[in-house]
Amino acid sequence: MGLYRYTIRRLVLAIPTVIGVSIIVFLLIHIIPGNPVDVMLGAKATEAARIALTERLGLDQPLYLQYWNWFTHALQGDFGSSVTSYESVTTAVLGRFPATIELTLLSMTIAVVFGIIFGVTAARYRNTIVDNLTIGVSLLGVSIPVFWLGIMLIYIFAAVMHVLPVSGRITMGLSVTNITGLYLLDSLITGNWAAFKDCFMHLLLPAFSLATIPLALITRVTRSSMLDVLNEDYIRTARAKGLPYRSVVFKHALKNALIPVITVIGLQLGTMLGGAILVETVFAWPGIGRLLITAISNRDYPTVQGIVFMISFLFIVINLVVDLIYAYVDPRIRFE
Amino acid sequence: MNSEFTQAIKQFKKNRLAVLGFYMAAVLMLISILAPLISPHDPLSIDLVNKLKPGFWEGNYHNFLGTDNLGRDILSRIIYGGAISLKVGYMVILITTIFGTIFGLVSAYFGGVIDMVIQRVVDVFLAFPPLLLALAVAASLGTGIEKAMLAISLTYIPGMARVVRGSVLTVKTLPYVEASRALGGSSTWIITRHILPNILAPAVVYITLLLADAILYTAALGFLGVGIDPSTPEWGAMLSTGRDFLLMGQWWVTVFPGIMIVLAVLSFNLFGDGLREALDSKLRND
Repeated sequence: MGLYRYTIRRLVLAIPTVIGVSIIVFLLIHIIPGNPVDVMLGAKATEAARIALTERLGLDQPLYLQYWNWFTHALQGDFGSSVTSYESVTTAVLGRFPATIELTLLSMTIAVVFGIIFGVTAARYRNTIVDNLTIGVSLLGVSIPVFWLGIMLIYIFAAVMHVLPVSGRITMGLSVTNITGLYLLDSLITGNWAAFKDCFMHLLLPAFSLATIPLALITRVTRSSMLDVLNEDYIRTARAKGLPYRSVVFKHALKNALIPVITVIGLQLGTMLGGAILVETVFAWPGIGRLLITAISNRDYPTVQGIVFMISFLFIVINLVVDLIYAYVDPRIRFE
Repeated sequence: MNSEFTQAIKQFKKNRLAVLGFYMAAVLMLISILAPLISPHDPLSIDLVNKLKPGFWEGNYHNFLGTDNLGRDILSRIIYGGAISLKVGYMVILITTIFGTIFGLVSAYFGGVIDMVIQRVVDVFLAFPPLLLALAVAASLGTGIEKAMLAISLTYIPGMARVVRGSVLTVKTLPYVEASRALGGSSTWIITRHILPNILAPAVVYITLLLADAILYTAALGFLGVGIDPSTPEWGAMLSTGRDFLLMGQWWVTVFPGIMIVLAVLSFNLFGDGLREALDSKLRND
């Protein structure tokens, strides 16, 4: 199957998944025990306010009609407005999105770069102290809850050593001209070095916290995949030709060993979208994760639905892209 | 079967880290069962006079790990917290195993349209980032440990169904299943006598690693204050309370519950990884 046809096939297969996700997200408001309007407005609400909200959310209509309205609006990027602030859910999410993207991208960069370096090193020095240490630390890495790690890092670097900021994205008083919404990039474009440095310092701890789990997993997968590849015949041939070990490891083995790593990176991007909720809560990072937690504690269900759908949709797109990259680098996949 | 089992145990014992994980997990389970007997104080009793007291490092042996912002004994709360985390973990495993096995088995054994429908539903659930689904469902269902259990299980049932389906598809084509069918064995007979016992190994590994995840997710929900009441002696919730006092120097409210989460998750991860390696190498030797 050609790459073009494979792409079309995968796109078509994603459609029922998106519809299924939309049904579950739509039902979130209907699994609330009791009357959702009472839960959202609290016991003190007036009868008029209750009727108004019921009508606004269309809760007085039959279920299939409610879903149809919700889904057709969602497809046009309209998730209604917040129950508490009346702000459009889509506007609120888009405003917070760059902060989450910046955090996730930096974390993933840290995880990929160091994960591959650690993994290759561990495989290269198999069964030595270096290898055992790498495995041990990566096991610890997947077992530490990110939120606890974040809090401990704040305590050590912000409260005790006073070298990094406690929370937030930028120090009060400094500002960045908004171009992309990614503060690091924007301050770089405008040559605002003071802001760049400040934003970088703010990003370090949250990015490192969020990076631990993918870092540990990428290290493990790179290591085992490298070990598999190093046993292949063509590696032995390359060595037999008299090529130096270093160039065999980096030129011949690494390229082939990275294929499984791509899958892990894709899967971990999704997990990081979940982890970002925790990290953003710990560091008061103004992204969509924090918006979600605020919406949950305000019982602002339309906002919750909008955020959950948009994050899941993004996750589906990421997985699709990863699958296509995978099919591109390893053509065998397309013919399965 | 018996010799295979002893072989797997032998293999497992060679892995020192896995054995360590097994013992740590066993101690943790014991502590949580004996919580009412060994806990020095009532985990819920409030004593505002003795709030935020440091523990043994300042000579306070009455509250060994100190007290929290309401004067509750941290050691006792940690012990009861273990019981809560493990209780959630066991229930998640039970719910996940039952429904995951049913869906996986039905999907693989009957195939066709049934298989396709179940697999598309599984796809949908796997399309959510893991924590997000549990969080959203827990937020809608409201506060309560039982609801948190349900929300977390929902995240794992599809994965379990996939694992079971995969193993059943492999086992289904083996000669002894065909032989049983040729001899007139019914579906129920074949499933319970031939298929279920032979998919046990991958299922057990999945379950052990799932327990580690379930503990982590329970703590995350407790930390976010979604689905779990903040006054519950749950590790994540305790840690979240302590956050406000950390910057003032009262670190023990946050540090100890966190260490417990790490130890619990680590022990089940080590145990599960060791189990997987032991069962895998058994398969390879066959």
